[in-house]
Amino acid sequence: MKIIKAQKLAYFDTSHEMPLEIIMAAGFTPYKILGDVHQSNDPADKHLSNFFCGAAKSWLTEALARSKEWAGIIFAQGCNNTNRHYDIWKVHVQTPFLHWFGAPLLDSDAAKKYYRVELQRLISHLENQFNIKITPEKIREAIIKSNEIKKKLQRLSALRAQKDIPNRDYLAAMIKCLTNPVDEVSAWLDSEIAAWNSKPSFPSGKKQFLLTGSDITYVEWMDTLEDCGIRIVRDDLSVGERFFATLIPDKSDPLDALIEYYMNIPKPATRPTIQKRLDYLYKALGETKVDGVLSQNVKFCEPFAYDSVPVNNALKDKGYKVIHLERDFSPAADQQLANRLMAFVEMMEVGNNG
Amino acid sequence: MAKTNNSAENDRKIKLKTLPHAKDLKWPMLWWFTMGSIYHALPWKKTAWTCAAFPIELMWIYDIFPDHPENMATVAAARKQSQRLIEHAEGMGYSRDLCSYCKTSIAAYDTKIKKTLGGISKPDIVVCTNAICDTHWKWFQIMADKMNVPFFMFDIPKWVSGTDEKTLQGNIDYVVEQFYDLIVFIEKHTGKKMDEKRLYKVLDKSTELSDLWREIFEHRKAVPSPYSGAETSASFFPLVVLPGVQVGINFFKKILADIKNLTAKGEGTMPKDKEKYRVMWEGIPFWYRMRFMYDLAQYGAVITFEPYTYSFAPEKKKCNTMEETLRDVAKLIMDTPYAYNLERRIEHFEKWIDEYKIDGVILHENMSCRPSSAGMVDLAEAIMRDKGIPVLILQCDMNDPRAYSEGQIKTRVEGFIELMEANKGK
Repeated sequence: MKIIKAQKLAYFDTSHEMPLEIIMAAGFTPYKILGDVHQSNDPADKHLSNFFCGAAKSWLTEALARSKEWAGIIFAQGCNNTNRHYDIWKVHVQTPFLHWFGAPLLDSDAAKKYYRVELQRLISHLENQFNIKITPEKIREAIIKSNEIKKKLQRLSALRAQKDIPNRDYLAAMIKCLTNPVDEVSAWLDSEIAAWNSKPSFPSGKKQFLLTGSDITYVEWMDTLEDCGIRIVRDDLSVGERFFATLIPDKSDPLDALIEYYMNIPKPATRPTIQKRLDYLYKALGETKVDGVLSQNVKFCEPFAYDSVPVNNALKDKGYKVIHLERDFSPAADQQLANRLMAFVEMMEVGNNG
Repeated sequence: MAKTNNSAENDRKIKLKTLPHAKDLKWPMLWWFTMGSIYHALPWKKTAWTCAAFPIELMWIYDIFPDHPENMATVAAARKQSQRLIEHAEGMGYSRDLCSYCKTSIAAYDTKIKKTLGGISKPDIVVCTNAICDTHWKWFQIMADKMNVPFFMFDIPKWVSGTDEKTLQGNIDYVVEQFYDLIVFIEKHTGKKMDEKRLYKVLDKSTELSDLWREIFEHRKAVPSPYSGAETSASFFPLVVLPGVQVGINFFKKILADIKNLTAKGEGTMPKDKEKYRVMWEGIPFWYRMRFMYDLAQYGAVITFEPYTYSFAPEKKKCNTMEETLRDVAKLIMDTPYAYNLERRIEHFEKWIDEYKIDGVILHENMSCRPSSAGMVDLAEAIMRDKGIPVLILQCDMNDPRAYSEGQIKTRVEGFIELMEANKGK
């Protein structure tokens, strides 16, 4: 099979487990499947019951409609059901290339060894399928490009607490970076950093929040937060800081570099331990003084629902003002949630948030 | 008057015959509860929390008592305690959408209820795998942190549809390496040392226990069925926590003898000539409403096979070296029928449907077990297409009675029975 220049190779990734640099080194544009909250999930509902996460259903709906545009699909082991989704996609989604990448949950020596085996299996599958050679040099080039994007996102992200940057602009930037060609994104980020720098200072009427929990993949939820007077200035989302919090180290063997990077990025709820996840939150909260913490969960997203109790309790014990809420995977504004958020912000203003 | 009517109705009821030695289940249970009390009471004895698909034998090899939060959650449900415990856990902040075993267990520990009602004590170590679900490790880690107890998690790679042999061997390598990490963990936190003689003794007993259960299942192929899912759902208990221990073997031997006796006489668990439909049940039972399985008898239906209890009795190889043993156990952990990938699930279900002469399949779409429930639509379609028998998908919950709607379930079961009847006439 021949590669069409800049063709997208899609990936199913519930957090940030997919080694994008291998896709880039293979000559493809990594495309994170994020679904479309505006499309009905009827196509996916035929295969998944009503108590499955709306985001995963939306991804399946997108794949059923668009898989022919993609060179293939790679699944990275993520949450509880990723392997089950793979099985269902294998039956129903038409694609010339479907690969399971068994990203380990642990970061032990045994896990590192297994990660290497899985990286080599992915490389070999891509090479055989597309008749290409993924050399160490190509992976190194991809790592350099990846780090460039991460550094630019770090600069962009830091401006959230200083300038008047609407919540949706940050999420839109993240989504653009996860779904478009790296070179295109890199140039766009330069102009965006300049544009954000020229914006007015952080507005006095807004509260600064750290956002934690399930990933956000559509801007309407960010708008709801905005309308409630909340500005997200820090987060630990995979479509967010986890993607760029750390850089891929410089090592003579590029696979070693990828192993070290992917096993040491801030942990999502799908990876042990809760303490490691808390460590990043404490670090972020130490670096940026926020007014409150918003912990939010997409309905049926189990890993973050489990974590929310110990994580939120730990943050409250440290004196942070935390609100937790569960939202549907829907662009429609939920006035009840908005009322709770507004009440929380109001209580902050009068200094009575319990 | 009402009493008289009920009595007359009861007389007309079709009752499943229980095996003569079914009541002997109390002995392995009593043994396990007593051992638990002793191990918790004596300071030099050690205890662990373990979960399904964790190699329990390792605990017995190290003389560590394997407590089992899931098992205790089922006890709480059977004793009608699970709803209040689940609601207590939800009051602690755990979502309604999370696993009802987990919430039952977290609240059982928090409220310190009695063991006989499903209570559980603080262990010396917490060990688990993610072979069945991620809930296991999330739940166990949350509790290990809360109790301030050392925690070990086995990361089991996923055997997805189409996995080739080379990948499978790589997955096994990873699991085997973790066995050595686990051994270091156990020895560090319990001070106990591996005794190789004891290892092979425990493994031999575990194999014997599994083999007995598999032999019992061979006899369940008989028509009429001698042993229903209503009974196996309770009697498989030794496979959960006693693999490697003699007491479970003794019990299974008696059950097997009872079954052989019944089949030799051509009798089954249903009264003579009443068995009309042989049903396969997939998923975890409704522990708070075990009567559901007995009530199927009113329609002439008997649960003849269920992959769930069968999962606990894999075919174990006789191995000669430690490495060979660990590789076999590693593969078995990944190969549990309850966690089969979709392709293997369809392949095995269709084989079992033939072997056990199944007339219809009930799939419990368990809101507390998404990994098991995912793919059920495809599984149902494949069975109906390839085997031409009806499949009923029942959405419910294993431990949360709030999900059980008596009227709705009855209506759906009756529709399913009608479909099996119509299918027989074809």
